[in-house]
Amino acid sequence: MATPLIEARNLSVRFGVGRLTVAALDDVSFTLAPGESLGLVGESGSGKSTVLRALTGLAPLSGGSLKLGGVAVPTPRRMNFFTAVQMVFQDPYASLHPRHTVDQILAEPLAIHRIPHAETRIVAALREVGLGPSYRFRYPHQLSGGQRQRIAIARALILRPKVVLLDEPTSALDASVQAEILNLLEDLRRAFGLAYILVSHDLAVVAHLCERLIVLRQGRMIEETTAGALRDGSVKTDYTRAMLAASGGFTRVGPTAPPTAPLRNT
Amino acid sequence: MTPLLEVEDLHVRFPLTEGTIEAVRGISFTLGRERLGIVGESGSGKSQTGRAILGLTARPGEVTAKRLAFDGIDLMAAPERLRRSLRGSRMTMVMQDPRYSLNPVMTVGQQIIESYRAHKRVSGRDARRAALAMLDEVRITAPDRVMALYPHELSGGMGQRVMIAMMLITGPELLIADEPTSALDVTVRGEVLRILDQLVAERGMGLILISHDLEMVASFCDRVLVMYAGKIVEELASGALDQARHPYTRGLIGCLPKLAGDSHPLPVLTRDPAWAR
Amino acid sequence: MAAGPSPLTAWLTTAEPQSRTQARVGHAYQSFRRLARNPTAMAGLVIVGLLVFVAAFAPLLATHSPIASGDLRTERLLPPGPVFWLGTDDQARDIYSRLLYGSRLTLAVVILVSIIATPIGLAIGTVSGYFGGWLDRVLMRITDIFLAFPRLVLALAFVAALGPGIENAIIAIAITAWPPYARLARAETLTIRNSDFIHAVRLQGGSSLRILLKHIVPLCLSSVTVRVTLDMAGIILTAAGLGFLGLGAQPPTPEWGTMIAQGRRFLMDQWWVAAVPGIAIFVVSLGFNLLGDGLRDALDPKASR
Ligand SMILES: Nc1ncnc2c1ncn2[C@@H]1O[C@H](COP(=O)(O)OP(=O)(O)O)[C@@H](O)[C@H]1O
Ligand SMILES: Nc1ncnc2c1ncn2[C@@H]1O[C@H](COP(=O)(O)OP(=O)(O)O)[C@@H](O)[C@H]1O
Ligand SMILES: [Mg+2]
Ligand SMILES: [Mg+2]
Repeated sequence: MATPLIEARNLSVRFGVGRLTVAALDDVSFTLAPGESLGLVGESGSGKSTVLRALTGLAPLSGGSLKLGGVAVPTPRRMNFFTAVQMVFQDPYASLHPRHTVDQILAEPLAIHRIPHAETRIVAALREVGLGPSYRFRYPHQLSGGQRQRIAIARALILRPKVVLLDEPTSALDASVQAEILNLLEDLRRAFGLAYILVSHDLAVVAHLCERLIVLRQGRMIEETTAGALRDGSVKTDYTRAMLAASGGFTRVGPTAPPTAPLRNT
Repeated sequence: MTPLLEVEDLHVRFPLTEGTIEAVRGISFTLGRERLGIVGESGSGKSQTGRAILGLTARPGEVTAKRLAFDGIDLMAAPERLRRSLRGSRMTMVMQDPRYSLNPVMTVGQQIIESYRAHKRVSGRDARRAALAMLDEVRITAPDRVMALYPHELSGGMGQRVMIAMMLITGPELLIADEPTSALDVTVRGEVLRILDQLVAERGMGLILISHDLEMVASFCDRVLVMYAGKIVEELASGALDQARHPYTRGLIGCLPKLAGDSHPLPVLTRDPAWAR
Repeated sequence: MAAGPSPLTAWLTTAEPQSRTQARVGHAYQSFRRLARNPTAMAGLVIVGLLVFVAAFAPLLATHSPIASGDLRTERLLPPGPVFWLGTDDQARDIYSRLLYGSRLTLAVVILVSIIATPIGLAIGTVSGYFGGWLDRVLMRITDIFLAFPRLVLALAFVAALGPGIENAIIAIAITAWPPYARLARAETLTIRNSDFIHAVRLQGGSSLRILLKHIVPLCLSSVTVRVTLDMAGIILTAAGLGFLGLGAQPPTPEWGTMIAQGRRFLMDQWWVAAVPGIAIFVVSLGFNLLGDGLRDALDPKASR
């Protein structure tokens, strides 16, 4: 097998000091092959975002090792890390600078990495995410949630990374907009051979975009499984099974009183 | 028998300097002691409908209706005092994120007791006993311990159950739940829905469940109203999603990724301007 | 209007600018339009504009010398009249002319203090808030020490060390004026520094300096600007206080604060000597205030619609 793009071994992250320490991540290991797409699922507070933050260096590792393309990743991260790994955040209302136009937002990574022909790159990046050049000089507040998320994706892709970390990229969006963004992510993945790490609490979204997934609970990996196993229900742990059952909508258990039962206190 | 709630041609308008926003554009429905779902994408006017029924429309907003009646009481003609006393005692609302609806500097117990005593003349001891019983009803274990907690010390699911306890302690007949589970994990969501379901059934309340999650609402409610651009475009019976006829509803169902039988790419919703007319 | 917008207006207000220059000019035009639509901000702009005009053309507008005394027997402490429009002071100097020349000093004090104190406050506050840790603790303790002293006393100490004179007074005031701006900038930075759009720049490899200068400072700038304009009255009065103690502008230099200080003795009988420069300080402070408030709204693209 080729060298994995990302190899994370025994990652652990702690927040706080002394007796107030929280182990947000405990002994999490995984690999990501080039072009592969890996899902991270778990309920809120289980450490999904912390995995991404640990990869990018936004959260300091307290243990474990990280390799990118077979080479150990130093802390602080070097410039070549940022051209290879980019991220899209959950809340499209918080991830764009409120006083910068789309043009300024997309120009920033190009300026940091001294990439020439910025203007043509920006127009091309907008086209890649399905937005015309007319959006170039708008401010974020003049865009809808879905359009903002497209800008955030364009910003992540403009440096032509190999891996994009997606932290609940559609959970703040309406179902119809979610479908458009998921389709866009799939198209871009095919076009640029991208690898994804997708964080989501929605199993159907993860199964749609990822082949493999990791289930986290209280900072620990409790299961590594596949989208196929989710589909046919052959998951191993009760926890994952419970999540799977809960995501199928509401099921009434046992007999319920008729809806026209008399008022309790009259 | 008069229905619990009658809504006919309800409009909510926001006159702003840039022009008038029509948040709700003439919706009509009646509600018995049943579970009614309202679904639609954000901005379709779901919350404004709920707020208008309770009389909580924000400042420049104007509410008009041919008829808006609760248990036969004409709410449009009712004085503000009557509406205020109805609100909280006989009709009430649970919001999306309990952390923003609970007072951060009061303990959970104080808040539940206060909301109880605002509508019932009872001693502090009785109010406390009622609060404990209510927390027990929303399946909070060790309610006396939880009574002493502050809102930030609660998890999302617990906060939402406290919120439900606080709203239901006065024994209202109509509960409007505005995205009560959207901020919760799927596993916790099922639990909160089950509690709501049981309380509604036991007490014979009317429930309006507002959500953007069509599947959840359709599996929970007896009837579902689908809203688009301030109008009701379709009414569905419980569990009858596959019988949806309106292209908007069908589009909403179609564009969700599904564990069973997923399609690549996902079908997207193409909007017809005629839907909004 | 029946006629469509002129080609220039259309070029400025188009939703789809063709180039960065056009977008920048267009956004500036929109900001100006927002400012122009705000009557109180326009009043502020007019007052500040008038101050600049008067300061620039003081020699042409003045009717008398601001420094040379008139006839001390007949022209002392005259009320406002046809010859001395705003009356004369105890040295028989024309208050109107002194007021005009004094505007130069006022403007200089205000401009110098704001271009010295604002960057210091912004730099200390944003660095402190962004990096946190021991750097934050050290910088904030220093800020607290500065804040703990009354401004005039502190300025006094600096002037005593630097020597009297208006230049040193300005430096002293600037050095003592920054702490509130640092506090404000730090508070804003704390709310901004953990937002996703800052994380995004870090993930692009942006340096801390770049994040501070291009992303955090512009967001703090508007509230600090408003705070500075609110402080203008205080700054002018501190300058006056130093002048009064003989440590600021030296007589007979016409400076508004010093003029009030000198007129203080005649407040009961010859009120105009102190009142005229007092009103001038009030009007100018108000002007800066209104303008600052309007600028905050005008510079926020979200306010447009
Ligand atoms: N900056 C931080 N300081 C302290 N605790 C944190 C911080 N960030 C996250 N945590 C804790 O780490 C755990 C995992 O958080 P997170 O990764 O955000 O969860 P998820 O994304 O799965 O919802 C949570 O218990 C959270 O409270
Ligand atoms: N205070 C307000 N002022 C102006 N417009 C408002 C206000 N509140 C809501 N609206 C508008 O009303 C419409 C419906 O809002 P809402 O009922 O909150 O939608 P949702 O279906 O997401 O709950 C939206 O288009 C929104 O812009
Ligand atoms: Mg998260
Ligand atoms: Mg809503």
